[in-house]
Amino acid sequence: MSNVINAQHLTLAYDNGAKEILKDINFSIKKGEFVFITGPSGSGKSTLLKALYGALKPTEGNLVVGGLDLAHSSRGKLQELRTHMGIIFQDYKLVNEWTVAKNVVLPLMIAGYSVEVQNTQAQRLLKHVKLSEHADRYPLELSGGEQQRVGVARALAKNPVVILADEPTGNLDDYSSNVIWDLMENACQQLDTTVLVVTHKIPTIFSLPYRHFIIESKGVYEVH
Amino acid sequence: MKSIKSHIMFILPLMAILLGIEFYLVFERTTTSYEKGLKEGYSMLVVSEKPLPLESFKALNPHIETVKALKREGIVSEIAKMSDPKSQEEILKRLPYFYNVYLDAYLKVSDLASIQHDLESDRRIKRVETFGTSYGSSYRLFSFIQFTLKLFIIFMGVVSLFLIVKQMEIWKYAHKERMQVMEIFGAPLMLRSGVLFRVAIIDAIIATLFTSALFLYVKFHWAKNSGIDMMVNHQDELFKLDDMGMLLGASLFIVIVAVYWVVFSSRGVEE
Repeated sequence: MSNVINAQHLTLAYDNGAKEILKDINFSIKKGEFVFITGPSGSGKSTLLKALYGALKPTEGNLVVGGLDLAHSSRGKLQELRTHMGIIFQDYKLVNEWTVAKNVVLPLMIAGYSVEVQNTQAQRLLKHVKLSEHADRYPLELSGGEQQRVGVARALAKNPVVILADEPTGNLDDYSSNVIWDLMENACQQLDTTVLVVTHKIPTIFSLPYRHFIIESKGVYEVH
Repeated sequence: MKSIKSHIMFILPLMAILLGIEFYLVFERTTTSYEKGLKEGYSMLVVSEKPLPLESFKALNPHIETVKALKREGIVSEIAKMSDPKSQEEILKRLPYFYNVYLDAYLKVSDLASIQHDLESDRRIKRVETFGTSYGSSYRLFSFIQFTLKLFIIFMGVVSLFLIVKQMEIWKYAHKERMQVMEIFGAPLMLRSGVLFRVAIIDAIIATLFTSALFLYVKFHWAKNSGIDMMVNHQDELFKLDDMGMLLGASLFIVIVAVYWVVFSSRGVEE
């Protein structure tokens, strides 16, 4: 199986290289794998995720995602790559002035799908995350767990190659967290999507085989 | 309420720019028309020993448009009323030729001096009177008004442009979260900035409508009843209806450039 993500001697830093977060890290992730990345607060988990969706350029080394070398790619290429990704955030990052249905179909809107297709997909996705009855409501009218399900539905909208999730259950209760994990497991299993989750702790109930990396002292280490 | 205020904060400076443009155009037309009047009312007096055709004058300076010879017989009859016809004939023989010289434009005092110099370089010409003192004072006043008005319009335009960009930055901040989310999911610049363009274009149209309404009021009501001859007599020439189309074009151009500037100056999600 081919690598969807490949990092070679990767160094990530802020302030033009002055503030080093991760140094000389190496790892690769294959298509369809489910990966957890854990580590203490401030260790660089979210920084790594930012680099994976192209919001932070590598300071040194190579980072290839979906065949694209992120260190040397143009804005246009990065935009194109992001349309093949599903990204889930701890703070949901929903557009509060848009309805739930419109938030869910954002990736389809960007890809230029017709309104009819967007509407059909919105119904399907919201049914999938059990929020059909909330289609016309606004994010701030929903609970945290419901908002995160909207975020997951949005991430799944275009059958992405990779799902990147940053603390997706960080603010949620156990019930809502289990629903979110189920949805991501399904995506990985049924759509062969690569899922990379940055989290404080791995869920206790998890049925899929997965890989686990720990970030510590600016390095990334796989736990076997 | 907040939204209306933010639109007004955008529309007002844009209207100031549009009014400045329109005011400038009307002023330019008015001054051109006024200059034409001044030019037509002005002539130099040239005294020559021998009769000179128009071509000889034009060869001396290209600004000379026409010349009008003064009737010498009339001058003789005025100065030799009591003399006999023979004496009058003698005076006529010795009398030089007088010409009113008209120019092609309303020129600077220094240009008048240069024309005088060119004319005096011809040996046949004995004297040139430019009446420079009265011409100079009206020209200086005219130039001063023109300069201060243009300066004021430019200053107003620059300040208004800053206000427009500032307002756009406020809008950008208001839409920042949505634009960032769209960028994360790969939306191109034009798609995520679409709302800024939409709002700016709608406000540009509203500003043009208000300015045009003001323009029509001035044209059909104020100018007509102003009592200023030039405004009343040259209403169509000074206030052209085509200007409204030009104002719409100018306002759209300004807002599109301003939106582009604000959007391109933002760094997006990248750190």
